[in-house]
Amino acid sequence: MPFSPLDKAAVARTLSQIAEQPEDLVDAFFERREEVELAPEDEAPGLRVRREEGFAVRLVREGRTWLAARDRVDGKSFAEALRQVARALPSATYPEPALAPSPWSAPPHAPELLDFPAAVARAVRSHHVGFPLRITVRRHRRWVQVVGSRVVPEPESEVFYSCSAELAWGRHGTLLPALGGAAAEGVASACVALFRARQAAPPSPSREAVVLAPGAVAVLLHEAVAHALEADLLAQGGRPEAALWVAMAAAAIDVLDDPASAPVGVRRATDDEGTPVCRRWLLRGGVVEQPLADLLWSHASPALLPGAGRRGSRHLPPGPRSSHLELLPGQDTEADLLAAAEGGLYLEAASRGALDPLSGELVLSFPFARRIRGGAPAEAVGPCRLRGRVADLLSAVGGIGREARPAGAGWCAKGGQKLAVWATAPALRLSGAEIVP
Amino acid sequence: MAPEEVLRALARQGLDGAEVFLKHGRSRRLELTVGGEAAVWSEERAWAVRAGNRRGSFFAAGTGEPPPEGPWPPPLGPLLVLPEASAGAPWSEPGDFDAPLIGESEGFGLLRTIGRELAVELPGARLLHAALEDGWSEGDLASSRGVRARRRQRVASLHVEASGPARPARIGNAPAAASLYLAAREARRFQAKALARHLADRLSVNASTTFPDELADRPLEVLLAPPAAARLLAGLLPLLVGPRAASRGAALRDPRGRLASDLLTVIDDGRLAGGVFESPLDGEGVPSREVVLVEDGIFRQPLLAWWQADGAGAAAGETSGCSRRASWRDLPSPGPTHLYVQPDPRISVASLLGAVGRGAYLIDATGGALVDLEGDRFALPVCGFTVRAGRAGAPIASAWLRGGVGDLLRGIAGVGRDLTFHPLDGMIGSPTLLVTGLTLARD
Repeated sequence: MPFSPLDKAAVARTLSQIAEQPEDLVDAFFERREEVELAPEDEAPGLRVRREEGFAVRLVREGRTWLAARDRVDGKSFAEALRQVARALPSATYPEPALAPSPWSAPPHAPELLDFPAAVARAVRSHHVGFPLRITVRRHRRWVQVVGSRVVPEPESEVFYSCSAELAWGRHGTLLPALGGAAAEGVASACVALFRARQAAPPSPSREAVVLAPGAVAVLLHEAVAHALEADLLAQGGRPEAALWVAMAAAAIDVLDDPASAPVGVRRATDDEGTPVCRRWLLRGGVVEQPLADLLWSHASPALLPGAGRRGSRHLPPGPRSSHLELLPGQDTEADLLAAAEGGLYLEAASRGALDPLSGELVLSFPFARRIRGGAPAEAVGPCRLRGRVADLLSAVGGIGREARPAGAGWCAKGGQKLAVWATAPALRLSGAEIVP
Repeated sequence: MAPEEVLRALARQGLDGAEVFLKHGRSRRLELTVGGEAAVWSEERAWAVRAGNRRGSFFAAGTGEPPPEGPWPPPLGPLLVLPEASAGAPWSEPGDFDAPLIGESEGFGLLRTIGRELAVELPGARLLHAALEDGWSEGDLASSRGVRARRRQRVASLHVEASGPARPARIGNAPAAASLYLAAREARRFQAKALARHLADRLSVNASTTFPDELADRPLEVLLAPPAAARLLAGLLPLLVGPRAASRGAALRDPRGRLASDLLTVIDDGRLAGGVFESPLDGEGVPSREVVLVEDGIFRQPLLAWWQADGAGAAAGETSGCSRRASWRDLPSPGPTHLYVQPDPRISVASLLGAVGRGAYLIDATGGALVDLEGDRFALPVCGFTVRAGRAGAPIASAWLRGGVGDLLRGIAGVGRDLTFHPLDGMIGSPTLLVTGLTLARD
């Protein structure tokens, strides 16, 4: 752990000097990141490594936040940042705690990246097709240490992978907990599906039954449940706690955010504010039970539990966000779901989603779909969008699969803070969904 | 640390082709939300190295100071090619580069004034989120090919989201929403009252749910205000930027190379005086300059970086310094800096409006343009007003402007003098444009 050598007790003591009022929240956030990227084979430079570390000091008082961030970790910078958030005179001095993180390990080594593009190419060939494919694969690592004036939680770390495949007919991007044969086959299958749908015509505007595969459900959950239940977005329409106990979805829908049961590499015990995470029931029986909140929002609305504070970077304050969403499985087999949606669309993977928090209007975009015929996905249909109001879409759930599968929901860039979000979900059937080209 | 020290250390390790970039800067971000306010001070200090030898190349970047002796990643993949040093035209650094960053109370004052003025312009309207960022940076660049460059930048941005008054239940209670995203060289250039008026206009239009059926699906005279015209221009960048631009637009040009109405001239200029990214050099230390891409409707050349031109064929044309570094984490990548439609100083917006017999005045785009060059068609989500006999009428919300790409370019019938830039893919600018032959459709 790079931050093990930090004198955390000294940091906590120093922070306590600017906490003048009992309700003040003061903390320091230390962060180290590494990204190793293997570029497509025709692109220079071949290997790309980004390593960064720094910290932020934050003071929250009566709804106002002051934050100072630095791209280095040393006692002098820390004391300067502390003076900045305390808005003290330049002549004011604060102690300089011993801050010397362990050095970076010697040359970045990510051999698993080097084999992955060839593994994807082999997997594509096993589908008896061939087409030009440019693969970019990255390993993301992050280490975090939060120090509060009263509490010093254990450090946290994350490691995961992302992959982007460019074809002449579109792009497939995904997050992966690990690289290996299964990951290569997943990327290859998605690319082959894009290739096979390359000349398919978009569907006409319609209302019809659709079956969303787990990957598409992950994006639906992220947009329609997680974003819709983030305390800062709820507050745009009024008091966030007013959402509690509101029926928002069909009674069969149970959705949780549980960072502690995320894929092994990104599993968390505390959030980016050092608060223990919890198994948070966002929707239980279709009813809102506990929206996503961070320390700031739980302080303003005591009915909200903290533990969902996430930071895309030390240079921005944290905000309430989901980490790992779970839709609890239902009773239906995939065959049941498809049979009940005969003639409708099978939506395998969403390329993007967008929620208007004021109107509750949601749009999910799909690079292609497949018409359901004879109880199975059949011919390809071109790019289309699923849209509707969140409450209407979630109330239109007609069946839930009984097999939940891990599915990276993807990158979320709300408020300019880019974060990886994960999900575990079964397939889902919606009736009367609005489909537009 | 000087970049030359790192270059020497890289050469000692056999990495004889190398470029070292050092950057530091400061910024202040002030944010108002429904939950409170936040003031953020950031200090950035970082570096980036591109290097290689006959075996391949690597890119490494990090915070703090670069470690001259590494350890560096192994060189992989194709060879690295770096630009040679070259001299550009003389340039004087603008005085406002040295202006202090906006203060905390001054910045919050600006944001609160936008909120207050918005409520005056449109009672019941309010800010949902406003973020003002003001910063400067300095970068030093040195390469094994003799490039030695120093660049300073001064950029401010403003992002505002607002909601209008609650609407009657019959059309859904959710209020209308509108947002603005702007960039300028320093935060003090943002005019609170003008921005509040623009937001109020957008909210008033977006609150409307009716679509004037008499305008649907028939060729119209359309007045595109700069925000909408800039979005369209951004969607047309594949026709103007990069070595494949000429071939992409071939089917749209006549045998004499005419791509558009003779009123259209499109320019990219990395050293545009007063521009947000004004600089004599690009992100690789190559001198920037003005390049005319379309002149009086004739396609002259695409925007090309030094390594993209082949001197003949599709990628013929003079190159310019147009490699951008989005941050120290990013590799230089070619693209527009200040790409704009040349305004006509003789033509006022009022005179263009007066020339519209029956059509629409589209004051903004509500999303990006969807452009299908192969299918010769585009669609842009827009909002604005109907126009009859030169007078603005009923609001138009949630509509799509549609047409052929060729029809759009050839249908430009008037170019105003009110050039403004918008942060899209680089700074993209346009004055008000009068275009004929396009259609509007309900969302």
